[in-house]
Amino acid sequence: MSRSTSLATSDVALVDLLDRLLGGGVVIAGDITLAVADIDLVHVSLRAMVSSVSKAVAPLDLGEDEPAS
Amino acid sequence: VIDVYAITEDGPATLPAAEGADLRMATADGLAAVWAPAPDAREAPEVTLDAIRRHEAIVEALMADRDLLPLRFGSRVDDASAAERLLHTRHDELARALSRVRGTAEVAVRVVAAPGATADPDRALEAVHRPLVRRARAATCRGGAGNDLLRGAYLVPRDEVTGFAVAVGKLQEACPDLRLLCTGPWPPYSFSD
Repeated sequence: MSRSTSLATSDVALVDLLDRLLGGGVVIAGDITLAVADIDLVHVSLRAMVSSVSKAVAPLDLGEDEPAS
Repeated sequence: VIDVYAITEDGPATLPAAEGADLRMATADGLAAVWAPAPDAREAPEVTLDAIRRHEAIVEALMADRDLLPLRFGSRVDDASAAERLLHTRHDELARALSRVRGTAEVAVRVVAAPGATADPDRALEAVHRPLVRRARAATCRGGAGNDLLRGAYLVPRDEVTGFAVAVGKLQEACPDLRLLCTGPWPPYSFSD
């Protein structure tokens, strides 16, 4: 399937996931320096995440996922 | 070295089996920290998608039957005693945050301009954030990075998450110049401090 929009629902969920786990939550160590092994990994693996992250509660206007109306 | 996943109230609750993690509880002063032995002795784990997904899966498994404050990915301390000390020294702050998130989940709403439309962050704030704040127990927002006009996080009673999503859908219909991207329910990562 081709995507005409830049963000698929699952991609949004992944971005929100990374946002939260790396930037939110209770912080207990002073300065955690996390080694991000390879930032490209995130992009390369986006599709691999599709099946495991299904958190969209309101998939809105996301190209072909939207039912015809 | 132990990985700490969440702060909860101390209780007899059985810990779920999640991701094969050997979950245990450190307790102090009515609070509990859920932890598992770290797979290596590094000061911080390497950030990989698998590790991040695993952290989230464990937190969500815990969240299924209890209120909690999720810890940021990579939260490690030396041992269970260190976790207990943490619960003790930060008790008031943690108890207060825990009481704020009780019975809720977090919903994320990201707003970008619709393709071909012009919109600024103020527009997103007025048209999306303000109406959603009224439906939420608490809310945070920031101007997003990059193309995001708004990154909002809303603390919503769990039984109102669906209604909240419907409200987001209605806002989307009312704002053709904006694109609303809504995900959740999440553990309350944005409401844990």
